[in-house]
Amino acid sequence: MSAIWVWIENKNGEISSISKEVIGAARTIAEELGEDVVGIVLSDDVDAVAAAAFDLGVDEVMGSEDDTFAAFRVTAAGPTVAEMAKEEEPAVFLAGASVQGSEIAAWVAAECDAGLIADAIALEVDDEMVKATCLVYNGKLMATTFVTDGTQCITLRNRAFAPAESTGDDGDADLVDAVKTEDEIGAKVTGFASAGGGVSLNDANIIVSGGRGVAGAEGFAPVRELADVLGAAVGASRAAVDAGWIPYEHQVGQTGKVVAPDLYIAAGISGAIQHQAGMRGSKVIVAINKDADAPIFKIAQYGIAADLFDVLPALTEAFKERL
Amino acid sequence: MKVVVCTKQTPSTTAAITLNNDGSVSWEDAGGKPNILNPWDEYGVETGIRLKEDGKASDVIALTTGAPDDTVGLKTALAMGCTEAIIVADEAYAGVDTLGTARIMAAAINNIGDVSLAIFGRQINGDMGHTAVQTAVKLGWTPLTQVTAINEIDDDRIVVERAVDDGRETVEAPLPVVLSVSKEIYEPRYPSFMGIRKANRVKIPVWGNDELNLDDAGGSKVDWSDIYDIPAREGTVQMIDSDDMADAAKELVDSLFEEKVI
Repeated sequence: MSAIWVWIENKNGEISSISKEVIGAARTIAEELGEDVVGIVLSDDVDAVAAAAFDLGVDEVMGSEDDTFAAFRVTAAGPTVAEMAKEEEPAVFLAGASVQGSEIAAWVAAECDAGLIADAIALEVDDEMVKATCLVYNGKLMATTFVTDGTQCITLRNRAFAPAESTGDDGDADLVDAVKTEDEIGAKVTGFASAGGGVSLNDANIIVSGGRGVAGAEGFAPVRELADVLGAAVGASRAAVDAGWIPYEHQVGQTGKVVAPDLYIAAGISGAIQHQAGMRGSKVIVAINKDADAPIFKIAQYGIAADLFDVLPALTEAFKERL
Repeated sequence: MKVVVCTKQTPSTTAAITLNNDGSVSWEDAGGKPNILNPWDEYGVETGIRLKEDGKASDVIALTTGAPDDTVGLKTALAMGCTEAIIVADEAYAGVDTLGTARIMAAAINNIGDVSLAIFGRQINGDMGHTAVQTAVKLGWTPLTQVTAINEIDDDRIVVERAVDDGRETVEAPLPVVLSVSKEIYEPRYPSFMGIRKANRVKIPVWGNDELNLDDAGGSKVDWSDIYDIPAREGTVQMIDSDDMADAAKELVDSLFEEKVI
């Protein structure tokens, strides 16, 4: 049993940002454990992805090249990766806690009867064992967890780990055959629409969010104006989404997205514990709220106790002058 | 067509969670309802009921695993309109991890028999559909996670929309399948007064390992014993005087540049 395996999400020869973070995390623990990092690449064209993975510091690339891997389907990739894992018995299997990473980790753990830890926000090596920190009980408590036996499958939260940096290294991928043929795969992807328009909450360095205080759909205008100036994504509290002022895909919190940008500006959000569960991992939090006693100020670094309709336009102007 | 909705009972979203000195966790809720149907599962229940109302599903069976009296979630599912509920409870299954839960769900679905569709909501702790995928692996079915719409369904195939990492995809798959549904699929209904009364009278069957015959039922390969309070965010808030808004904005912008977050 050895080696840290990393699931490498790729599209059009490029590695996704979350996989770069997972490689970064893998390199850190691999160094402490004295193990190699093995990038797992399934693609219809492995070479470019493998080269990028070696450059990001993986020691080996194992994978499979087949047309069935052109667009990710867990029903195609899962059986092949599980077969590789049964053969090689990696010590650790890491993937991003994205839709794709969660699916592949769950599939591999199920086929290999391995323990699985979801959505870790930190990893440490303790007595040659990898321990993962997670939020539990609706994000109200924390736990340090570990897999007691066999391969440790762990998914890592988006933006919780520093991405791997370029090393200039290169190498050759070690390829195996795909386990399933197209005829044996039930699911067929018949359409795809790329997520267009605006910065996504998951990848944003900066998020400007509005809550009950924006008081209507049109109240998001100053939120959007500030977001535009900053190249930020627009977020919202559940209150604003439930009121129909902004679509659900913008919701941050326990029943929305969990985000961890460098800067989170909360405007007119009181900061209920459910909202905090979705954004307290942000590096710097700015709270803007008329109510100086709102709980959001307790977790913020900077606060302005005033009407967001006065503060946001002033901030937009001040940023325009500096950017 | 039989549809099974896999559910989980969770602490109420408004419950105050307490970490006790012995390391155990307890919770209570000011509203008097410490446990509820996992809010994500309401979307799964709603999806099952809609399939019945559209004449696609004959039975919509709510399923859960836990202690024999963990029936709060199932009662809600029945009150919303599920036709049956089953709880799987056996001491041999205590403390199972996600994979153990998947084995139990798969065995129960096989025991129900002739099921075409199993529907999961998202689990509440950052799970993007692990249990749904693992249940599908154990059943040998196709998993389809993060489903935002069912475009078509007939006796042997389904077409769905999924929210994937970089967009939305349309997927077609032969039945049976395991779905995990997102919040966008349907707005869940409130249980009706009559539904609640009816649900309260239902005696929910309890299945154990006598029914499921799992060789290796439970256990957990994940140690969750080290639970603690979230460390407070360091430092206190720096309030910026807002008498002159332009000055306040400038001061904040300067600080944020110093923090190097811009």
